[in-house]
Amino acid sequence: MTNDSDSPADPAQWLASRRSFLTIGGLAATGVILGVGAAGCGTAKTGNTSGTTGKGRPGASGDTLFVAGFQWGPPKTFNPLAASPDWPTAQFQSQLIYETLLRFDERDGSLHPGLAKGIESPDDHTMKLALQDGTKWSDGTDLTADDVVFTFGLGKTAAVTYSTVWNYLDSVTAVDARTVQFKLKATPFNPGFVKNFLCATYIVPKAVFSQLAGDKVTSDPNLKPVGSGPFLMDKYDQTQVNLKRNDSYWGTAVWGKPPMSTINHPIFKSNNDGDLKLESGDVDVSQQFTAQIWKMWEAGKPVSTWMKKKPYHLPGNLPLLIFNLGRKGLDNVKVRQAIAYAIDYPNIATTAMSDYSVPANASLIVPTGYESKFYNADAVAADGWKYDKAKAIDILENELKAKKGSDGIYVLPDGTKLGGWKLITPTGWTDWNTTCQIVAKSAKEVGIGITTDFPQFPTMFAALQNGNFDVAMFNYTGVGPASPWIRFRDALDNRGVPAVGKTAFWNYNRFTDPEAPALLDAAAGAKTDADAKAAYDKLDAIYRKNIPVIPLMYRPLEFFEFNQSNWTNFPTEENPYAPPMWQGAGIEWLFKIKKVGS
Amino acid sequence: MSLRGLSPRFWVAAGIVAFVVLVGVLGPLILRTDPDTTVGGLYDKPQCCGKLLLGTDNEGQSVLINLVYGTRTSLIVGLIAGLIATAIGLFVGLVSGYRGGWIDDVLSAITNVGLAIPAIVVIILVSVSLPKRNIYTLAVVIGLTAWFWVARSVRAQSSSVREREHIDVAKLSGAGFWSILARDVLPYLLSYVVMAAVLQISSAILFESTLSLLGLGPGDATSLGTMLYWAIAWGSVRTGAWWAFVPPTLMLTLIVFGLLLLQSSLNEVFNPRLRRGRAARRRMVTQVTEPETVGAAGLLTGTEPR
Repeated sequence: MTNDSDSPADPAQWLASRRSFLTIGGLAATGVILGVGAAGCGTAKTGNTSGTTGKGRPGASGDTLFVAGFQWGPPKTFNPLAASPDWPTAQFQSQLIYETLLRFDERDGSLHPGLAKGIESPDDHTMKLALQDGTKWSDGTDLTADDVVFTFGLGKTAAVTYSTVWNYLDSVTAVDARTVQFKLKATPFNPGFVKNFLCATYIVPKAVFSQLAGDKVTSDPNLKPVGSGPFLMDKYDQTQVNLKRNDSYWGTAVWGKPPMSTINHPIFKSNNDGDLKLESGDVDVSQQFTAQIWKMWEAGKPVSTWMKKKPYHLPGNLPLLIFNLGRKGLDNVKVRQAIAYAIDYPNIATTAMSDYSVPANASLIVPTGYESKFYNADAVAADGWKYDKAKAIDILENELKAKKGSDGIYVLPDGTKLGGWKLITPTGWTDWNTTCQIVAKSAKEVGIGITTDFPQFPTMFAALQNGNFDVAMFNYTGVGPASPWIRFRDALDNRGVPAVGKTAFWNYNRFTDPEAPALLDAAAGAKTDADAKAAYDKLDAIYRKNIPVIPLMYRPLEFFEFNQSNWTNFPTEENPYAPPMWQGAGIEWLFKIKKVGS
Repeated sequence: MSLRGLSPRFWVAAGIVAFVVLVGVLGPLILRTDPDTTVGGLYDKPQCCGKLLLGTDNEGQSVLINLVYGTRTSLIVGLIAGLIATAIGLFVGLVSGYRGGWIDDVLSAITNVGLAIPAIVVIILVSVSLPKRNIYTLAVVIGLTAWFWVARSVRAQSSSVREREHIDVAKLSGAGFWSILARDVLPYLLSYVVMAAVLQISSAILFESTLSLLGLGPGDATSLGTMLYWAIAWGSVRTGAWWAFVPPTLMLTLIVFGLLLLQSSLNEVFNPRLRRGRAARRRMVTQVTEPETVGAAGLLTGTEPR
């Protein structure tokens, strides 16, 4: 072992030798480390096996539902009226603490009961909603029609997300303690829009929020929320939000008792952390974009999505390429058309969207699901576009008479260079970032210069709202009670949209068309689906003629991915007892999932 | 100097660097495909042979083609940034060390302040605020923030050279300031400067890949760091797509390891005290009196050669 001149035979000397001592010591230490390492591996293995054999997690964590994909930073406010509340109190999140009157089901567009039993319409301009029996706040007081009237009233006095509903509402009144009546305006008449906000507006307790004066209504952090939902805020910090079950929940009689005693949302730093936890079973349900989710069940993990085949999720929105119509070059519809033909939609669907989408079509209507009844496939085929590089180049050279410059970028006859445009989308939105890369690359291939830039979300969104961008990728409104109307409004209606430089909430590129507003009003007030479709056909045609935006792919309203190592009976295409949603009617699966082995 | 005297370590290093340079220079010429071309789907497995040898990345592009272009980008950025940093550092160090006085005070103060600020922070802040990020702007930003330690060590050496007799001789014979700097000071530092340049190139390559890994890479070109950025963002480790992250990692390791090895073997060549083995003994006898090696070696070890 050592080349010492000391005789190793003499034990006294052997021990006395400092070098020998170190050697032995080192060997012993190595042995200990190896042993510990091996033990560690053993533990990890055991953990995995118990996960797949279906015993579930032991102890309290076994009674907890771990969710991911909504909260990315330390929570600051649980005030549902704030500009950006934290999970689960933001608009269109799970109705765990605050609830809405009705709940939207994206599969068929139906409105499920929430705090209210349903809608009665004595006439076209009246909606009567009766509250469910025994609705209560978590502090034990009754939730009455007064609270509903108060909540909607805040839309008039404070700047909240649902203030716009008052463009279409005359009054909200309490007929009696348990019935609320909504009177709609005759002009503009838009029952769909109102229904949208019946599904989107969390009812808040008058007793709490009437104490808050002025701006406090939206700025108060409301860190101990009093809600009506099946869960209560337990604790939160920068690593997690933890909710505990409200055992005196009023809705137990209607939906039953949630099987989990706590719901925990760990706050991860990146998608990757959450994906790994979903794969290992430490997260039960996730709303993250997880690329190639099928790799998880191919590896034998009990992971699944709504359907185990393409496109795995239900399409619920179409992220758009939004052009700044004020930029020289992009103001030319032929240039926008050339870009529309240049984009490699099939590649976006298979790579950037990980096969969770089919190639996008030239329409603002989602062609499957609830909106499919308004989708006009013939018109899309006749005057739409699809990925066709040759056609894009043909438009550039023959219709626009553009000449290619030395840098490979076309220049219009008036000297406008078709390039130097920046395409923005928030950083970290992996699938969107990759989509933008593909758009930039597609444009470059036909000779149009677009580069990508991924700022932080607030920066990017402010630029988009103020019209301070060249090209952007963002969503308009997804599938909901008011879609596709609201999406056409977002894209084509300039009424109520402030000028460039001020904050817009829709129509970010300030598109105008003389016919669109009247058609939008006709679609909103349509009595039958056929009337509505006629209006949508014309609107979609206007859209295709002007191309202010281009759909890039379809995306689910929310991702819904689950690992069944602790909880089972999640809704799937084969077991469709609830929609694969978190918001709205998605709350229903929360009551029906079962603990493994129970 | 004769090639015979070079150590095996030098040849290994030179071999690695030559290989990387060949990949970066010849690779794009041989493959002749735009790295943006879509050749497959999302993370297709590697298959023999050709463009799909290393599979595809998250955009369905060939990893192999991206790898050779990425290597080229890394080399370009490394070279430009390394040269800028070395040139600035050399100039500032020479002037401040040789001139001394208040110029030295000012330049040293700037250098010391620069050394105290972590370069990566400055580089990140500057590159976030750049209106347009391409490989050349990145190279310039990296070069402009990395010259401080070159300046500092060159200053130390030139201020020591200043005290030597031959400078006095040059002054007496009427040589001007710049002429002395270029002809009588610089040659004594050249071997050191070459090694510093090699180190600067390797650190610039690492800086570029760090930036790209953070998503602040060049917008117009593939780089090894950008490949890693997308591999991480798309969870290639989780999905088992090793071909997306192993090749760029290996290539980066190879470049940086090769350059560091080259630097240390050059150090051996220039510094007789570090020589080992037969070659070293022989060279000690035959070449120890060459002025440039003695000068540099003495300075490197911090002792005054006599």
